[in-house]
Amino acid sequence: MAETEALAIAGSWVAAMLRSSTPLMMVTLGETLTQRVGIVNLGVEGQMLCGACVGFAVAAATGSPVLGFAAGATAGLLLSFVHATLCLGCDANQIGSGIAVFTLGLGLSSYFGRSAIGGKVAGLAPLADNSFADALFVGPILTQLTAIAPFAILVVLIAGLWLYRTRTGLNWRITGESFQTARALGIRPLLVQAQGILVGGLLSGFAGAILSVDYTQTWANEMTKGRGFVAVGLVIVARWNPFLVLPVVLLFGLSEAATLRLQATGLTLSPYLISCLPYLVCLGCVIIVAVREGRIGGMPAELASVFGRRR
Amino acid sequence: MSAAGSIRIIAIVGGSAAFLIGASIFLAAIGRPPLATLSQMVLYAFGDSYSLSESLVKATPILLCALAVILPARLGLITVGGEGQLYFGALTGTAVVIALPAAPMVVLLPAMLLAGAIGGGAWSGIAGLLRARCNVNETISTLLMNYVAVLLVNYVIYGAWKDPASLGWPATMMFPPAAIVPSVFGTRAHVGLIVGIAAAVVLHISVTHTRWGIALRVLAGNRKVAAMAGFSFVKQTLLVMALGGALAGFAGICETSAIQGRLQAGISVGYGLTGFLVAWLSGQNFLRAIPIAILIGGLIAAGDALQLYSKIPSASATIMQGLLFVAALGASGLAGRGTARHG
Amino acid sequence: MAQPLVMMSSIRKQFGPVLANDDVSVTVNAGEVLALLGENGAGKSTLMKILYGFYAADAGTIRISGQPVSFSSPREAMAAGIGMVFQQFSLIPALSVLENLLAALPDAPWLQPRGSTKVRAALRWLTRLAPEIDPNRAVRTLSVGERQLVELAKVLNLDARVVILDEPTSVLTPAETERLYGFIKTLTSEGKAVVLITHKLADIAACADHIVVMRGGKIVDEAPARDRTPGSLVEAMVGRGVAGSLPPPSSPPTDVPLLQVRGLSADIQGRKIRDVSFELAPGEILGIAGVSGNGQFTLAESLAGLVPALAGDVVLDGVSIASRVEDGAISGDVAYVPERPLDNAVVADLDLALNLALRDVRQLDFFPDRKAAFRRAHELISRYDIRPPQPTLAASALSGGNLQKLVIARELSGRVRLVIACYPTMGLDVLATQAVYREMFRQATEDACVVWISEELDDLLSYAHRIAVIHAGEIMGITRREAADRRTLGRWMAGHAMIEAA
Repeated sequence: MAETEALAIAGSWVAAMLRSSTPLMMVTLGETLTQRVGIVNLGVEGQMLCGACVGFAVAAATGSPVLGFAAGATAGLLLSFVHATLCLGCDANQIGSGIAVFTLGLGLSSYFGRSAIGGKVAGLAPLADNSFADALFVGPILTQLTAIAPFAILVVLIAGLWLYRTRTGLNWRITGESFQTARALGIRPLLVQAQGILVGGLLSGFAGAILSVDYTQTWANEMTKGRGFVAVGLVIVARWNPFLVLPVVLLFGLSEAATLRLQATGLTLSPYLISCLPYLVCLGCVIIVAVREGRIGGMPAELASVFGRRR
Repeated sequence: MSAAGSIRIIAIVGGSAAFLIGASIFLAAIGRPPLATLSQMVLYAFGDSYSLSESLVKATPILLCALAVILPARLGLITVGGEGQLYFGALTGTAVVIALPAAPMVVLLPAMLLAGAIGGGAWSGIAGLLRARCNVNETISTLLMNYVAVLLVNYVIYGAWKDPASLGWPATMMFPPAAIVPSVFGTRAHVGLIVGIAAAVVLHISVTHTRWGIALRVLAGNRKVAAMAGFSFVKQTLLVMALGGALAGFAGICETSAIQGRLQAGISVGYGLTGFLVAWLSGQNFLRAIPIAILIGGLIAAGDALQLYSKIPSASATIMQGLLFVAALGASGLAGRGTARHG
Repeated sequence: MAQPLVMMSSIRKQFGPVLANDDVSVTVNAGEVLALLGENGAGKSTLMKILYGFYAADAGTIRISGQPVSFSSPREAMAAGIGMVFQQFSLIPALSVLENLLAALPDAPWLQPRGSTKVRAALRWLTRLAPEIDPNRAVRTLSVGERQLVELAKVLNLDARVVILDEPTSVLTPAETERLYGFIKTLTSEGKAVVLITHKLADIAACADHIVVMRGGKIVDEAPARDRTPGSLVEAMVGRGVAGSLPPPSSPPTDVPLLQVRGLSADIQGRKIRDVSFELAPGEILGIAGVSGNGQFTLAESLAGLVPALAGDVVLDGVSIASRVEDGAISGDVAYVPERPLDNAVVADLDLALNLALRDVRQLDFFPDRKAAFRRAHELISRYDIRPPQPTLAASALSGGNLQKLVIARELSGRVRLVIACYPTMGLDVLATQAVYREMFRQATEDACVVWISEELDDLLSYAHRIAVIHAGEIMGITRREAADRRTLGRWMAGHAMIEAA
């Protein structure tokens, strides 16, 4: 019987891990694609907040979580347009511009999200109804997860294939490696970079909407709690590779699920200390990658001007 | 006029115009008369001595946090950690007060301020060490450490340091009078402002007129050549990060002591981030950061007043800050590009 | 005779005050190797970059198969069948060989599964040129010679009829060079035209059909290869060259060593040197020859004490100067002129006065005397003819040659005991080259040791007291100038070590 019990526990862990990592998966993927074209966008945090706020409001108003996701993604896209305009149109510094976008997103979401505070939405239906709850291992997964988790994994896989196995993906990677070479090859690098920023915006807005509509099903000010910034760190850990985003984010989700479980077991540790863990785990991963590689491995060369290069 | 001078003027004029347009659109969108509201904000910020002193109160931590961004920037480092350093400085400074509540002012006040500065410096120094020794990007490490510092403050004020007399409100005990940073000019503005301005002047002279300033410029420009000349990147990184963090930590303990009177949640309303904004608006220049910090302090104070008197939520001040940052970045970028093309 | 493939007539191109091409006309025939011979700065590359659409000519016409053409970009030239392989490759190091080839292929498919025939088509030339290169390897991991082959395959993929190679053998080992000669013959036998830009006589002897010699932007000689001897070509190429125009420095007065390098080993990101030993007497000039990329950079840096020695020691006048890493500046007794000054020797956004003061910046007062710094800068700038002569200008505003002069002025104007010069004349014209040599030799006559790393074998053979050859990080042999001959040095450069008995 111990075996069945272990499987049941494993199932609920997998479910918890997937649930908490789905938003992060999307925002990390988005930032990965943005950085792949040689642009850093710290505004993802603000875009995620706007996505969460708008997504929640639309889902609450229409009763449709799908419309909520779409609206959230659109909000993220629109806000990332500011970053694209500043960085590409005005040659502004990317870090500065990212913080500006974050500030704007923070302000806009807290301002317009006031009326939504305390509301509740119905998220997507679970993959299976409660009659499956007792099914071994898959039971908790099917009953606790919605369609959004498998969808997100699919998006990551498609993005990876697209980046590594299509001509457009190759053009994106060339742009991120060398703006000049891209231009010489007849690619329009500015256009590619704009696309990279906007896709990142779309995905971060979507991530925000997943967080508010599907995961917590509420809206609160600053509810993303730095997940966007964590994503920027995880992009480095995943070495700018969409396929690696998956394991990295899932491991991260596992640590988050673990902290939630720890709290649930009545551990006497303060919840505030436990809440530090995700940030410390992220920082630790970034440090390990930096030490192990000696330099930041796999970094698109155009990022060196923003991120600095070891010399 | 020099090219750099004309770039700056174009940027300031263009940026201000863009900001006013953006802010007007926002105000109109939320159903407020733009011009009337904006002029009201100017009055709320600098209209009378009370408003001015409130603006200076807000400007103080902003200025200190801006200095904490500008100094590392002179070495080419981009830190976004003012908020965390501020919180951690508040934490370590408060620790001294908790440990020695009955100590006389001559001991307690300096010890508290020093502990705050050391705490902020250490918190920032960690990011500096990671950067110098392990090549961990300082932007990301400081961003993440912000959240940890805030959570650590929450941990103590909900836990060990919580004052039982505060009826469940998460805060430490009230600081004894011996631990209250003195105010200046008979207003709520406190000594932190004087320290901030003095620090800005000293740092400005240091980076422009001393051998240390040359070391920073050489290191920022070419690490290889700097090594040949005998400048150590590791040492200077630690130094600028720790010094910057100390200023932000000092801001944190000043806010805790002079403004709140005890350590509690929300000692900072995004001062660290706003400091980053001010640093960029100043073009990473210590002296220019002073008036800009006062202006932004005015904007925030006006936002508070608007919330109080006109029931406009304070988040609107954050939006205005964002708009200002966007406008300024865009204008200076465009102005720089325009001259680069013709120059 | 058939119509020439390319006819460039009366081409003229001016860069600022410099006339790079002055009324130059060349003809390129299909199935033929045209060698463009000349010293650095003779205008060969400029001429071919005009054909490649990289520069627009100020005057003159280009005809391809008789049709007048005018290219405004390399892409138009490529479409017309002109391909060029540059000294600096345009490959992206992080991407794989296959991806680099696909990127340059105009008809590459959108979907690129690795097995598909359309994707394999990108490899058609590479598999002929170098079947041993794994197309999935990152270009970063390839040797310089392999990268050149990938670059060549990229150009051939575009169905180029004219292939321009810019100094292709300067980065290759002798074996790789031989292989390249073979490819060039294959290409011409298939009816393609090859233009070989070179300053090496060996290239001419190996595969040129027709020779055009350029000097100072003009054509000074033109003939079928069989009609010219190496001697006459050198004369045409060099004119009154650098060699011979300076008196060779006199022999060192004593042989008591001032500099002792013992078993020095070091490693900079995989660029290793191993067990390097030599001794220099005061006033002695040691030339270090070798194909570039064989550890010269690491040798120079570790002699200067900028990287830690993994083993061994560098002793100057009885004091160890190795491994002063991290905190210590370079010893005040050492002058170091590194390669690529912009990367390694100056701070681009600081002014000239500060850049000139960097050598003893640590000795400055805490509040430095700016007026004194500007006075000294003015003096050095006029003495070394640095242009434009404005001490307040940022170093980034200087041309490569003037940057080099700035570094020479800073490093060689004072008294030192050891000079380390790494390719000190790269990119300089004849006059500037002479000026650099004069400063270097002056240090020698004032009893400094000089370690002179260079690719200019002729100059080493004229001026160095002894010549050492470095290959794969090891010294293959050291010989006195009088005893040196090109063949032996060439064997050493290819990695055949000195036989002790010989």
